[in-house]
Amino acid sequence: MHDRLLLGKYYPGKSILHRLDPRTKFILLILLMVTLLIPKTVFPILLLLVGSACLIIISKIPLQEILSSLRSILFILVFAFLINLFSGKGTLLLDLGVLKIRQDGLLNAVLMSIRLILLVLDTTLFLTLTTTPLQLSHALENLLKPLSAIRFPAHEIAMMMSIALRFVPTLLEETDKIMKAQSSRGANYDTGGFLKKAKGYISIIVPLFISCFRRADELANAMEARCYHGGAGRTKLNELRYTSLDLFFSIIFIICCAIILFAHYQMSNLI
Amino acid sequence: MRMPFLKEQILKQMQGFSHAESASHIRSEDRLIMIDEASFAYPVSGESSSSIVALKNVSIKANQGRHIAILGRNGSGKTTLAKLINALEIPDQGKVIVFGHDTSDESALWSIRQTCGMVFQNPDNQIVGTTVEEDIAFGPENLGIPSAEIRHRVDQSLIRVGLEQYAVKAPSQLSGGQKQKLAIAGILAMRPACIILDEATSMLDPKSAKDFFKLIKELQQEFSLTIIEITHDIENAILADYIYIMQQGEIFFSGTPREVFTRPDKVLAAGLDLPQHLYINHLFQKSFSLEALEKLCKKYPNDIFTPEETADAMFELNNIANPQMIAVSTTKYNSSNKTIISVENLSYTYQKGTKFAVDALQEVSFQVKQGEMVAIVGHSGSGKSTLISHLNGLIVPQTGQVEIMNLNTHNKKDIREIRKFLGLLFQYPEHQLFENTVYEDIAFGPKQFGFSESVIEKNVKQAIDIVGLPQDIMHRSPFELSGGQQRRVAIAGVLATDCEIYVLDEPAAGLDPIGQQEIINYIMHLRELNKTVILVTHDMKLAARADRILVLNQGRVTAYDTVENVFSNQILLEDAGLEVPPAYKFARLISEKFSSEITGYTAEEVSYNLLKHLSSRRKYNA
Repeated sequence: MHDRLLLGKYYPGKSILHRLDPRTKFILLILLMVTLLIPKTVFPILLLLVGSACLIIISKIPLQEILSSLRSILFILVFAFLINLFSGKGTLLLDLGVLKIRQDGLLNAVLMSIRLILLVLDTTLFLTLTTTPLQLSHALENLLKPLSAIRFPAHEIAMMMSIALRFVPTLLEETDKIMKAQSSRGANYDTGGFLKKAKGYISIIVPLFISCFRRADELANAMEARCYHGGAGRTKLNELRYTSLDLFFSIIFIICCAIILFAHYQMSNLI
Repeated sequence: MRMPFLKEQILKQMQGFSHAESASHIRSEDRLIMIDEASFAYPVSGESSSSIVALKNVSIKANQGRHIAILGRNGSGKTTLAKLINALEIPDQGKVIVFGHDTSDESALWSIRQTCGMVFQNPDNQIVGTTVEEDIAFGPENLGIPSAEIRHRVDQSLIRVGLEQYAVKAPSQLSGGQKQKLAIAGILAMRPACIILDEATSMLDPKSAKDFFKLIKELQQEFSLTIIEITHDIENAILADYIYIMQQGEIFFSGTPREVFTRPDKVLAAGLDLPQHLYINHLFQKSFSLEALEKLCKKYPNDIFTPEETADAMFELNNIANPQMIAVSTTKYNSSNKTIISVENLSYTYQKGTKFAVDALQEVSFQVKQGEMVAIVGHSGSGKSTLISHLNGLIVPQTGQVEIMNLNTHNKKDIREIRKFLGLLFQYPEHQLFENTVYEDIAFGPKQFGFSESVIEKNVKQAIDIVGLPQDIMHRSPFELSGGQQRRVAIAGVLATDCEIYVLDEPAAGLDPIGQQEIINYIMHLRELNKTVILVTHDMKLAARADRILVLNQGRVTAYDTVENVFSNQILLEDAGLEVPPAYKFARLISEKFSSEITGYTAEEVSYNLLKHLSSRRKYNA
C-alpha cells in the first residue's frame, strides 16, 4: 500500500517513455496538447489517433492500465458528447422532437470525444504512468528555475511537493490511529445526521492538525540541523540529465506534430 | 537500483573515511565541545518582556571520541542543551565552542552543523526524503557536494547501517528502529565528528534500542566520534564515559558513572532511577540503622557500583547488624473466578487475499478473569496492537470470537456496550486531546456513552484527583499543558468512563522515572478498585507487576502463564526477543551470595524477599 502511495499510478518499466528525462516529457506534452486542440477535421485527428497508439505501444504498459484513467472523466466525456450531438447544423439524421441529431453534430461529437480521450490518455501516459511523482517535482523545479530571477519560489514549491509526498503515508497512519482512539472513547462516525457526523469529525481533525504543526516544527529543526538553507548552492543525488534518447525522441516527436498541424492547415485550406 | 560499487569495496574504502576527511580542518587542541556558563531563555510569545528560563550557567566539556550522557527529568533543559551544541539555538549568555568554532559566529554555522549530527526523538519527524536514499542524500545535497560524491557516500552509509536493501523504498515502510538507523546514515553521509542523540531510543522497543546502541558504539570506535546522549534511560547511561545530571536548567551534579551512581541519594533527588541492583541495595539499606551503615563504610570502603560489589556490600552489611523489618504492604489482589474476557481462536490477516497479505494474529486464544491484571508482551510487530484493537471491536474478527462480559464483537449492537465497559488507551494518548478545556476533554467519553450531567461532573472530578492534577486545571486548554500533564488528562479521560476493564497500551512510554512511577500508582489504584487491567508493554519491570503474562511472538501466543513461570523460561523469552527484568537477574546473584534461593521481579520484591529470608533464618538460628 505504501508503495502505491509513494508512486501514485506509476507503472514500473524500462521503455523509451520511462527512460526519457521528465523535463523532456513535460515539454513534449505541452506541444502535444497544442497539437490536440487545434485540428477539428477528420484526417489530422486520425493521425493523432495513430500517433497516440504508437506511444501506447512503445510504453509497453498494458492497455487496460491506461484505459482505467478514463474512468475519472467518464461523466465529462458523456456530457460533452451529448452537448455536441444535439447541436450543429447539416442533414437531419434523427428527430426526437425537441432534440434533433444532425450530421455535423454527430461528427463533432465523435471527434470531440476522441480528442478528449487522447488528451487524458497521453497526459497519464507521459506524466503519471511512466514518471514518478518525485521525478515530476524535480522536473518542475528545474523547469521553473529561470523564474526564480523574478522571485518565483521554484525550489520551495518542489520541496513542499516532495515533503507532502513523504508525509502522506505517515498522516494516513496517524488519522487511522486517532480515529481508533476516539472510537474507543465512544465517538461514532457511522451514524447520526450530517451535522452530527461533521461535528464528530472535529475530534479527528483537531488532533490531526495539532500533530501536523508539531511535526512541521520538529521537521524544520531536523532540516536545519542537516544544514538546509534553501535552494541556493544545493546539489542533487539524482541530477536530471538529458541523453541522446531525449534528442532523438524529441526530433521525431516534433516532426510528427508538425506533420499533423500541416495536415490540418492543408485540410482547412481545401474547405 | 544503482549500485556502482561492490559491497566489499565500499567497506574497504570506509576504513579510510573518518577524520582524515571529515575533521582535517580541525586542529587537535580544538577537538572538543565546550559549553561555558551558558544560559538560555525562550521568549514567551506575545509578551516581549517575559521569558521562560531553560538553562542557567551550564558548563559542559566533551573531548573528541568520548561518550557523554546528559540525564534529567522531562523539562529539565536537556533538549535545549542539545540545540545549543549544533547551533539551532544561540545562548543568551556564555559561550558554546564546537571544534574550535563559536556557535554565535554565523560563518561557522554550516561547518558546526555538518560536524555535529543530531538524531531526534521521533523517528518520523526527521525524515525529509521520499525514498531512503534521497533522505540520506539530504545533508550532503545541502552542503553542495557533487552528485557522484553524494552517490558514493549514500551507498557507503546505507551499507554501514545495514539498510542497503531499502535504498529505493519509502521511509514509511521502515520500522521505528530502522528509521533511527536511517537518521544515523544521513548523518554519516555528512562526515560528522560528533553525534547528538536526543532521546533517540525512547520510542523504540528494547530490542531495536539495543541494536541502535550497538551501532552507535561501533561507529564511536570506528571514527572516534564524540557521542552526546540525552536520555533518562539509566541502563544505557551507565555505559557512558561521563554523566551530567540536569535539574531545572542547571547541572545538578556530574561525574563518571561510578562517581554518580555511588551517590544514590543525589540521583534519586534529581528524579532519576538507579540501576536496579543499586536500587535494591538502596531499599535494603533502609532497613538498617545509620550506625550499621557507618560501620559498613569503615569495613567496606570500596565503591558500591557493579552488581558484584553491591552483592558483597549487602552481604557485609547483614553481617554487621540485624535489619529492622519495615512492613511492606504486599497486597494480594483477589480476582474472582468469573471470566470477563474470552478470546477464542482469533486469527487476522491484513489485506487478506492480496499479495500484500500479512498474518498479524494466528489462532490466539486466552481468557482473563475479573479483577486480574494481565501483561501482554512481545516486540514491535508481534501483533499486540492488532490484538487489543480486537478487544473493543475496532477490528471485527476474521475468524474466531472475542467475548467481553458475554458480549460478542461480532454483534454490532454489542460493540457500543463493550466500549462502555472496556476502556482502551493507546500509546501516546495525549495526541488524542481535542476539546477546548480539560474538563470537556475528560467528559467526552462519558458524554458519548450517555452519562447524566451530574454523574459526568462527579466522575471528571474524581478522575482528575486520581491522576493527581489540581482541580483548577479543568478550565484550561489541554494544549497549554506540558506533555506529562497532557498524558494525565488523557488517562483521566478513560478513568471518567468508570469502566470495568482497562486496556493500556504502553501507558508509561516516553515519561521520565517519576512519571512512570505515577502511572504504576494509577494502575495499582485501579486494582484496589477491583478492576481488570490489561497492560501492553515491552518494559519487563512493568510486566512483572501483573498476575499473568501473555507472550506474543509473530502473532502467536507462545506463553500465557504466571510471572514466575514466564520469566524463568529463558528459551521462551529469547525466542520472543524479550529480556528478564534486571531485578530478577540481580536476585540470582544475591541468591548465590547468601546461598539461598531469593527471587523477585521488581526491586521492591527482591529486597523484601531477601529481608524476609534473613529474619526467618535468624529466628531459626536463635
